[in-house]
Amino acid sequence: MTKQNAPRGNHPVLLALLVGLLAGFGGLARASVATTKPPLRPITVNLQDKAALQNGALYTLHMCVACHSLQGVRYSSLPRMLGMKRDEFEKVIGTNGKHYHDTITSTMPPAIINAFVKILPPDLTDIARRRSPAWLYTYLTSFYVDPSRPSGVNNTVRYNVAMPDVFAPMQGLQKPVMVEGLRFGSPAKVAIGVKPLTQGSMTQAQFDRTARDIVYFLYAVAHPHQQERARLGPWIIGLFVVLSVLTFLIYKLYWRRVITSEERWWRVGK
Amino acid sequence: MNSSKQSRARRVFGWFDDRLPISSLWRSQLTRYPAPKNFNLWYFFGSLAMLVLVLQIATGLFLAIHYQPNPHLAYWSVLRGIQRDSRWGWLIRDMHIVGASAFFLLVYLHMYRGIMYGSYKKPRELLWLVGIFIYLALAAEAFLGYLLPWGQMSYWGSAVVTNFVTAVPLIGKPIATWLRGSFVVGLPTLNRFFVFHVFLMPVLLLALVLVHMIALHHVGSNNPDGVEIHENVNESGWPRDGIPFHPYYTVKDLFGVSVFFVVFFWFVFYNPGGWGLLLDKLNYTPANILHTPADIHPLWFFLPFYAMLRGVPDKLYGIMAFGGSFALLACLPLLDRNPVRSIRYRSVLYKVNILMMAFSFLWLGLIAHGFATEHNMVYGLHVTEVFYATFLLLPFFNRERSARAKIIWLVVAEAVVWLIDVWMYSIHAHGWDLMLLTDWIPTLYLLLLFGLAIGFPALTRDAQKLPERLTAGGIFH
Repeated sequence: MTKQNAPRGNHPVLLALLVGLLAGFGGLARASVATTKPPLRPITVNLQDKAALQNGALYTLHMCVACHSLQGVRYSSLPRMLGMKRDEFEKVIGTNGKHYHDTITSTMPPAIINAFVKILPPDLTDIARRRSPAWLYTYLTSFYVDPSRPSGVNNTVRYNVAMPDVFAPMQGLQKPVMVEGLRFGSPAKVAIGVKPLTQGSMTQAQFDRTARDIVYFLYAVAHPHQQERARLGPWIIGLFVVLSVLTFLIYKLYWRRVITSEERWWRVGK
Repeated sequence: MNSSKQSRARRVFGWFDDRLPISSLWRSQLTRYPAPKNFNLWYFFGSLAMLVLVLQIATGLFLAIHYQPNPHLAYWSVLRGIQRDSRWGWLIRDMHIVGASAFFLLVYLHMYRGIMYGSYKKPRELLWLVGIFIYLALAAEAFLGYLLPWGQMSYWGSAVVTNFVTAVPLIGKPIATWLRGSFVVGLPTLNRFFVFHVFLMPVLLLALVLVHMIALHHVGSNNPDGVEIHENVNESGWPRDGIPFHPYYTVKDLFGVSVFFVVFFWFVFYNPGGWGLLLDKLNYTPANILHTPADIHPLWFFLPFYAMLRGVPDKLYGIMAFGGSFALLACLPLLDRNPVRSIRYRSVLYKVNILMMAFSFLWLGLIAHGFATEHNMVYGLHVTEVFYATFLLLPFFNRERSARAKIIWLVVAEAVVWLIDVWMYSIHAHGWDLMLLTDWIPTLYLLLLFGLAIGFPALTRDAQKLPERLTAGGIFH
């Protein structure tokens, strides 16, 4: 077989040019509705910190669940996640008077919630999948006084939030740090941070830790199989890495004949 | 003793073989089915897509067992029943989610392979057309399945798409109501989508894939050189450049499968949401009929078509714009009638055009990923024009054109682009400023392509000498 001197299919220069163009124009085309965004407060979730998870569960199940539900979560699934025994869990955290295997639903009747805030509070089961931990952490700590709102408060990351500032007794009230920015493309005063206004029952550090614990807990209930994933993942992926190597060797073994052979070496029609 | 045992096994097999064409099919379709010996990396994706189809059916079976097709139950039957309460439900569901996106990725690569190596040309036109129908069935399957979790994006995505039908004058609205079984997306819609998703479309897909395979094995595989291996056979009728599919391509595909599963399971275990691309984050909120999301998006594999839809500021014409792109794909054998199959032996400008096809498709996806601002819509319109141009210019490359013909092609193509813009302006769709800001995209592409064609005629010349036998080389050869 003679080697052909014809043009080949591989054109790295052309490809590189197009990838470069895509990267360049991509930015141009993605002009979105510009809104000045406050910086998110960094947080690293540590699911091994059982004390923090337990504290987060305590606050979530006793405060948040007044209005919010976690319909995807059963009380009975929590003790293992929190590193507790069942009776310990029932004594310390409790099931809000529900059956142990019940799902977590808000303790306040929806009609009353509706009378307060007019919209049904979102379910918190997968809230940490919808929002990043940093967003949740910033949200929980960034309510500020805004007399124009019916509830009297607003939030830096969730503008015109419907939720009242239930943390005020603990955290104290806060005032916004306003800058001239953009909201949906038009100039507006945007809150990019908060400053303390009054003193609550907790110090700032204590409250930040409480908020962090709540985020830990919400993250844990939204990612219930994190441990199984981490345990099983490397084995399954490792198995296919090994199989890739083995099948590659087998493939090369079989194909050695194909590449070198010029004649009819297989048996056909016999 | 030993031989009688063997012969008994053979007798049992023979009994079946006499009544079912087991060994003859095995021979004709695998061990003595000649495949070209120069398949490269691009030839993995077809068999991988079939594997993913099987995987989707297997995982889907388990999901359907636990799923409740009722708006009151659907969301929590998925997010609690499957994801949390049932053992390994999370793994099955994540495999189904990642599998859906993998399917589209593989099919897109498979289609692009066909475009590059001219696999739609005679005698494979029908093979290509069946493939387009598989793609359409797959798109329908994905759309139907997306409603089932009954999340916010599921609901509103389905609301948007079922509303497409209302664009048809007069009978549009009654038809949309008939399709949904309701005036809005609701219980009847969910029930029929469930049935279509788990029964109708999978059966259709399997049937189409079978037809695709039969057609493929009838005409034989194309290859990166575009050489018809059956035209050069030895004395016993075996193609000189062919090798038996089994064991050569079965062992090669096993390697492909293993590598594919490494990536696949990385996503399943560590990134099932795929940065919000494989599963929209808004779908972690139950559907709320009273609350329309600020931005309704399809998943990544439909984004380019979404940009085409958004780019044209009229429902009916917008739907025609994105529906037309399927028609263009189906018409590929009619558009490209150049006898040279493989991109390897086509002219430089043809290669540029084919790369631009993929590039503008990706670009459209990127545009639709952004918000529905007027800026993005105008970009969408003009990149859609480029995407269409990459198809509609294919006849230009059918043979070498004279300088005069090239100029006529350029003038006509530019005129069409500018007439579309004048039309958009006349219906007050977009302001001139935005139009002019982005008009350079199709204008420049056409100018560049035809300018080079006029200035350097060699760039439009296909390889003069085509290979008679397969050429060696290429990665994974």
